[in-house]
Formats: sequence, C-alpha cells, structure tokens
Amino acid sequence: MASVASSAIQRGQVDLVDFVDWSSVECLNQSSTHSLANALKQGYRDDDGLHLASDADEQLLIYIPFMQVVKLHSVAIKGPEEEGPRTVKLFSNKEHMGFSNVNDYPPSDSVVLSSENLKGKPVILKYVKFQNVRSLTIFIEDNQGGNDISIVQKIALFGTTVDTTNMKDLKKIEEH
Amino acid sequence: MVLEATMICIDNSEWMRNGDYPPSRFQAQADAVNLICGAKTQSNPENTVGVLTMAGKGVRVLVTPTSDLGKILACMHGLELGGETNLTAGIQVAQLALKHRQNKKQQQRIIVFVGSPLKYEKKVLEAIGRKLKKNSVALDIVDFGESDDGKPEKLEALLAAVNNNDSSHIVHVPPGPNALSDVLISTPIFTGDGDGGSGFAAAAAAAAAGGMTGFDFGVDPNIDPELALALRVSMEEERARQEAAAKKAAEEAAKQEKGGNQASSSHDATMAEQDSGSALPAEDKRVNLMQDDDDALLEQALALSMNDAKSGNVAIVDADMSDSATADQDLAFALQLSVQDSAKDLSTQSEMSEVLEDQSFVSSILSSLPGVDPNDPSVKDLLASLQGQSEQKKKEDKPESESDK
Repeated sequence: MASVASSAIQRGQVDLVDFVDWSSVECLNQSSTHSLANALKQGYRDDDGLHLASDADEQLLIYIPFMQVVKLHSVAIKGPEEEGPRTVKLFSNKEHMGFSNVNDYPPSDSVVLSSENLKGKPVILKYVKFQNVRSLTIFIEDNQGGNDISIVQKIALFGTTVDTTNMKDLKKIEEH
Repeated sequence: MVLEATMICIDNSEWMRNGDYPPSRFQAQADAVNLICGAKTQSNPENTVGVLTMAGKGVRVLVTPTSDLGKILACMHGLELGGETNLTAGIQVAQLALKHRQNKKQQQRIIVFVGSPLKYEKKVLEAIGRKLKKNSVALDIVDFGESDDGKPEKLEALLAAVNNNDSSHIVHVPPGPNALSDVLISTPIFTGDGDGGSGFAAAAAAAAAGGMTGFDFGVDPNIDPELALALRVSMEEERARQEAAAKKAAEEAAKQEKGGNQASSSHDATMAEQDSGSALPAEDKRVNLMQDDDDALLEQALALSMNDAKSGNVAIVDADMSDSATADQDLAFALQLSVQDSAKDLSTQSEMSEVLEDQSFVSSILSSLPGVDPNDPSVKDLLASLQGQSEQKKKEDKPESESDK
C-alpha cells in the first residue's frame, strides 16, 4: 500500500514505541471504552477497528514518558476524515499537564494535520526542539470536522535514541 | 485499596444551624467528615484527604491533602457558620488543590456536602461536571439539609455529567433520627467501589449505637453476633415501651412516680456530680459512651429503665447490672438518662427503685465509684430518704396489687 510505503521509517529513524514507559502513560478525557492503548500499542494501533476516542469534549491530552532519553524526528497520526485531529500541539518534557495549563506554555511544536497526514503520512517536527526528550505530551485541540468527539486510530513516533554508552564498545584501557 | 487523594467540601452556611439532623446539621457533617477521613486512610495508608469550607467569607482550604488524621480533626474545630455556599467555586478550588497534590499517581476525588439550597442552573452544574470528568476527577455528592424543588434532579444531572465508569456517587439523606454518618457508612462513598474500606465501615457500623443501615443493625451478624442480639432486643423493647407509653394514662403514672422520680433523680444527680464534677462532661461522656464497646451493656441498662413489659428480662438485666458494677460510670449515666427520658412507666420505676433500695447493692455501687464516699453524710441521708419514699410506695403498691386481685 502506498500509504504504508510513505510512512515507512525514514532513514536512521526508529519507531519509538519500544521505548515508551507504559506504566506511566496517561491520557486525559479519553473514553473508557476507547482508550489510548488502541492508538499507541503495537498490534492494536494497526487494527482499524480499535481507536482512541475522546469523552466529554473533543480535546485530548496524552502524556507519553520514555524509558530513556530520545530524539524525536517525526510523528504519524492516523484518524478518520471527519473526527481525526486537526490542531495538535506537542510539549517536550512537561510532566502532568492539565487542560488548564496547556495554554500557559508555548508548545515545542504545533502541527495542523491535513487529510494526507491522517492517512498516515508522518509529520516532520522541529528536530532541534526535540533533542532531549524524556517525555512527550500531545495535546489534540480540535478535530477536522469540528465534532464533539475526536477519534485517533494510530499514533506512531519516530526518532532515535540519544547515544548511550554501548557497553560492548568499551575497550579495556591498555596498561602502560 | 485505590490510591486516592480526596478533597472534602464542607457546607458551613447559615442553613447548617438547623437541628433536623442530630445534633445539628453542621455537627453531623463534621462527624461524617471524621469518619470518611478514617476510612480513606485505613483503606490505603498512602491516601490523602484535604478539607475546605464553601461558605463563610469565601471558599477556604482548611487543610491541603494530607494523610495526617490529626491535622484534619484539628482543623474541624472552631469552624464558624455563616454566609452562603458557593458550590461552583468550592468545587473548582477543590480541583485546583487536587491538581497540586504531591503524589501524582493518586486518583483525584472530591466529596461535596450540599446542605443549602442550590441556586445554580442545571446547565452550569453539568458544565462543571464535564470539566471534572475531563480532568478525571471523581465526585461524590451528599445531598442533605434543604430540599427545595429541583435540588435532587440538579444534583443527579451533575452526577451524570461527572460519572465515569461508576466512579462517582450520590447519596440523598433525608432528615431523621439517624445520624448522617451512620447513613453514609453503608453507601459506596464509604465502602469505595466494592472492595476496600468495608472492614472499617463494618467496624464503624457496629460501634455506632442503633445504626440502622444496610443490614438490620449495621453489619452485626457477621462481626459480632452478641452485639447484634443485644441491639435487636433493645430495639424491640424500645418499640414495646413506646406502645405502652402511648396507651398508659399519663396522670396515673405521673402521680405515683413523682415521688420516686425526685428521689432517684436527686440520688443520681449526686452520683453524677460526684463522678464528673458537672453535668456537662456527663453529657460529653454519654456521647462518647455511645461509641464504646460497652454498648451492649448500655443498651440493656437503657432497656431496663425504659420499659419492662417482659418479665423475663428482669432476671437477665439484674444479673447484668451486678456484672456492670465494674462499668459503673455507664450505669450511673444510664440511670440518669432513663430518669430523664422515662415515660412514667409504673412497673419500671418501681423495679428500679427496688433495685436502688437494696442497701447493700447501692452501697456497693457507691463504694466502687471514684470520688463517692458511702460514709458521706449527705449520701447517707439521700439513701435514707430514698428508702423512706420507697417504703411509702411499697405500701401504695400493695393495696394496688390487692385491688388487682
């Protein structure tokens, strides 16, 4: 499928789903039957029958901590034409945000999704702002059709890990 | 066992002065708050509870969420009533206090006591509810006090807006003799969502005298079958007493009893005074006793004094009374209570005065009481006069019983 090819991982980038710290993932205003795992977890996110839906209104606040520091390159958000997200703001390293203080900080990046993006085309982010990401907060402000409920089918994050010491490369210092 | 941070919003408006919930609406609220704090901290030691008041000069946070029960109990003292409740501001401030909780892993919960009339529209309340749901805050509503038209419906609408997976609850408490806290014990507000807190709730229910919630008398049969039996017996006797009191002519009983009443009441007053020094601590002690484990004995003592249509109970009660020579404070206060509350029941009074007449028994009680000296001349005089009066009554009783035959 062409869309799959276009969302193929760019050179050097890794799908960061393996580095997500699942125990601390949070999502505010999600519907209890359609929760974040449907959009984020491997396996669930590719199932078109499962999606993440908002509850009381159309906004969603998703908090994703990582197990190690990463650099975020791009993000792919898939959703339906009408209820898919439109304005998405990303905050790096801001813990425990609430809907009341999303507007207090300037976002690390702000994206308006087009229908192409909603089919899976990844959005390239301001790489310089995401060099040292311990946690990512995604704020979905509104959706394409202005509906009461926003629906997200898949959220995929691409990037690289910050170089950590690879123990295998450590060489013993030769004694003089 | 859910890890939770709770903010309790108390209504301290002018409407809380009303006494339709014993002892007063505000006091009933305070008791309920204390019980809730205990239940929350017991179900999970890491739970925190905070308190704020909604009326008075404005919404005021008395204590931010803490697991220190002492702090919470202390801040409930010296609260003044006045002003009007600002429900929306109260809930918003509670939300803010929860947002700044120290342990972000705790679930957020607000418990609000709504005792004054609601001046908000349904829409406003629903908007608040949605906002709470959006921020995953659960809300428990205790609807008591004023019940103007539309209040229950508005609160139900608020609950529907907030409710997420049945994590929020509402309780409507009508005015009545049952304490607010007793009614709340059996509700999901206390018992959490199924598990947790039920052990505490059961214990609290058993300790609270005459708690008529859930099971017949609290969670009796499971925890304490003897207490259950004692409570059931005393409730039946109370019912019989009330029926008898309704039937019997007041005057006939009153005349014959005035003599006995005065003697025993002054006798009891002396005992009580020498016990506690003043009537006021006696009242307080009586309140404390109600939550005592000697409840069974107390209930039986009360039952004895209130009514004794069933002769079978006399033997049991006499035995109990001598048993409770060790719990004499209870007896003294029970006697005092019975005298004050008694519905001029002939048989009861005469039995009691007979018991009191028994010189040896009385002096044994007196000697075991702290601060009472049986050789004290004033006490001796009282006993003598009491005996004299009861002899008189005996003579009256005899001709009566003869005429019955």
